[in-house]
Amino acid sequence: MLLAAATLVWLFVFCLPGDPARLIAGGRVADPDVLSAIQKEWGLDRPAPLQYLTYLGKLLRLDLGTSYIQKRSVASIIAETFPATFILAIAAVLLATVFGLGLGSIAALNRGRLLDTLVLVLALLGMSIPVFWLGLMLMLVFAARLSWLPVLGYGMEGMVIPLTSIRLPEWDHLVLPAVTLSLVSMGAIARITRASLVEAGTADFLRTARAKGAGAARVFARHALQNALIPVVTVVGLNFASLLGGAVATEYVFAWPGLGKTIVRAIGLRDLPVVEGCSLFLTAVFVLASLGIDLLYLVLDPRIHYSSTA
Amino acid sequence: MHRDDPTPRVRPLAAALLAVTLASAAVTACAPAGPAPKKEEQVFRFRLHEDPPTLDPALSNDQFSEAVILNVNRGLVELDPLTLEIHPAVADSWTISPDNRVYTFHLRDGVRFHNDRAVTSQDVAYSFKRLLRKETGSPRRFLLEPLEGAGEFIGGKSADVKGLETPDDRTVVLRLSKPFAPFLSQLTMANAAILPKEVYDDPGKAYLRAPVGCGPFRFARWEQANFIELAAFGGYYGGRPALDRVIIRMIENRASALQEYIAGGLDSLDETPSVTDTAMMEKIGKDVRKYPFIGTGYIGFNLALPPFAGNPNLRKAFNYAVDKAYLWEVLSPGGNTPANGIIPPGIPGHDADLPGYPHDEAKARSLLAKAGYPGGKGLPPIALWVNTGEDNRKIATQIQSDLKTIGVDISIREVDWGAYISGVSGTAEKPGQAQMFRFGWYLDYPDADAILRPLLSSANWGPAGNFGRYKNPAFDALVDRALSLTDPKERALLYGKAEKIAVMDDAVWIFLNYYQSETLYKPYVKGVVLSPLGEFRLPLERLRIERDAI
Repeated sequence: MLLAAATLVWLFVFCLPGDPARLIAGGRVADPDVLSAIQKEWGLDRPAPLQYLTYLGKLLRLDLGTSYIQKRSVASIIAETFPATFILAIAAVLLATVFGLGLGSIAALNRGRLLDTLVLVLALLGMSIPVFWLGLMLMLVFAARLSWLPVLGYGMEGMVIPLTSIRLPEWDHLVLPAVTLSLVSMGAIARITRASLVEAGTADFLRTARAKGAGAARVFARHALQNALIPVVTVVGLNFASLLGGAVATEYVFAWPGLGKTIVRAIGLRDLPVVEGCSLFLTAVFVLASLGIDLLYLVLDPRIHYSSTA
Repeated sequence: MHRDDPTPRVRPLAAALLAVTLASAAVTACAPAGPAPKKEEQVFRFRLHEDPPTLDPALSNDQFSEAVILNVNRGLVELDPLTLEIHPAVADSWTISPDNRVYTFHLRDGVRFHNDRAVTSQDVAYSFKRLLRKETGSPRRFLLEPLEGAGEFIGGKSADVKGLETPDDRTVVLRLSKPFAPFLSQLTMANAAILPKEVYDDPGKAYLRAPVGCGPFRFARWEQANFIELAAFGGYYGGRPALDRVIIRMIENRASALQEYIAGGLDSLDETPSVTDTAMMEKIGKDVRKYPFIGTGYIGFNLALPPFAGNPNLRKAFNYAVDKAYLWEVLSPGGNTPANGIIPPGIPGHDADLPGYPHDEAKARSLLAKAGYPGGKGLPPIALWVNTGEDNRKIATQIQSDLKTIGVDISIREVDWGAYISGVSGTAEKPGQAQMFRFGWYLDYPDADAILRPLLSSANWGPAGNFGRYKNPAFDALVDRALSLTDPKERALLYGKAEKIAVMDDAVWIFLNYYQSETLYKPYVKGVVLSPLGEFRLPLERLRIERDAI
């Protein structure tokens, strides 16, 4: 799968219009001698199949290449920017999961009532509102008007995780981007939770549990919710994986120093190794996240077994 | 809920609790906006749109990189950002031989790099050779190409540059192969910075993320896509700057940056609210500073492609059709001014009396007919290329509409910068696809040569800068001759004549605007220099913060 992804990414990047050498040279004007020297230095003058094979060869050695513009390894760029994206995605998914589950449960428990409709409308709004607009609105209200939170940024004084160079964001800087990013996923999680709970609510085992004298809270938490979690986990997992690569708009609005923004900028600058390396890295993360979801099914539902035979 | 619904029940109060918790997550944090400086510190915070592509002076070719480099590094000479005069920097004096070929620089005493080593003439020689060396890949090695023997050195035929000598530790002699009037001005550019060999010879290239220079600020840290921090250098030859720290924040989105400025997370911002945004202007309108910026905006014609090749009447017709006054006085008011030519005001050679092409629909129609396309009939499809951006789109749409009034239909092709620059410049052999393209040019130094030669000299044909592939021997001769003269008046006269040929005879572009900078500064920022070199040419060593004074 990674080979297919690597090939697709390379093809996509190769087909981008524009000459990377021009942008490496600074863009505006460039001496043709300088341009040809740059093309030679980065192998851009070689035939396309050779460029592709060189790229694959590097990948086999786990070398994601060197940025044309920053002149440093793509791995180091990922190491510097991915933690910010990861932290933002974790915070957003946590918020989305907690409140999505809560709102979905409330809707299910009040099916057909005003509260149910309200939650469904809110969920739909959360899924439909453009992140860019929502981010700006939250910024205007909570930062600009009320001054409760910082407008943007990651902060400069956050704690550095021991033995790493990863600096955590200042927590108040995290709130607005995380809430913005969480609202889309929250809507989806609330809707799927509601649907799963409603479906689980008709199951015989609930009637049995209640007949055996289990209280409403126990029936809900131990029986209904747990059985409804599998589709929810799928949605949460996929949302998390896509947030890792798809937080570009939020990173843009809140000047969040993440990987999404780095990729978009690299596309603009035709910094091909960065685009290729980061895209491939995110593909690998997505695959791993999907694997994680599959493994989580085992924990949630003991009836599920994975076997090498049919 | 149906009567027989088996779904377990919990109290609806939970719903309200959850909603309250959601809201409280967003509002419980009450922190000041932006990275707040410590009380007694002098900290200045400004914004760049994105990370500088490089902090290596030799590789720099953009204003974001220069905004940092020019405060960390110093060259032999520097340009006063306000008066645009050449001032001593690492060299405290220099002499020029009567034949204008030999420049002798005497280095200042007490200049130290940030690693505390004294700067010597050997460092100058090292830095200049590094800039010229092919392996460095500098896009601006042309600055030193006038040196005698530079070509042989670049081509690997000589290990030394013949015209670069260091007779002692404090003297540098630069000998040119022929007189080159803008040479001293070119040495003020960031690329000609003096660098310590022991740092810049590092095969691991650690200097790319931790540059060392001898400027007023030393590099402190750089967090990708977040900020760059500079700290005052106590050993700076010009005295320690008043600012203790400078924080350069990367904020791409204009609306977000404006909010951050209002909230106090920035002390300066290179963008201002629209004059029509009255609410915003009420809040920060008093902080807006407007000042001329030596640059010219234009629509280039591709003279190697039909229908513009060999048809000056058509190009003149387009010029007369575009209402530049409307563009800058009504559509985008308060900033740029309509242009009548190429050389911007303030630069010797600018001719305020050059007629240019004021809006005249009747003349446009008549010239269009004379060009062979009466009422626009017979014209092939024409595309105007712009790189992605709201302003570019607005301007292109207006030009499209203006041309429509004389019967000319053009389409607009909006593409990102990478595709745009390739589509416009083409290759050495083949012209770009773009028949018309919007471009702006900011002068690197205050000399008409800095705009006429790179953009219109046939020596810079194609990707080297003359994207429109303009070739007129009379123009070339004037620009080349001006290079070898030293009398500013005589040079200005020649540049004026060259401009007249390109504007009035050949109408090489649609001459749109002379630029104006608009920047926000908090009132407590003192010592601000509003430089005609642009908003990113900030001499940070002159700034100080006086919050108590307001």
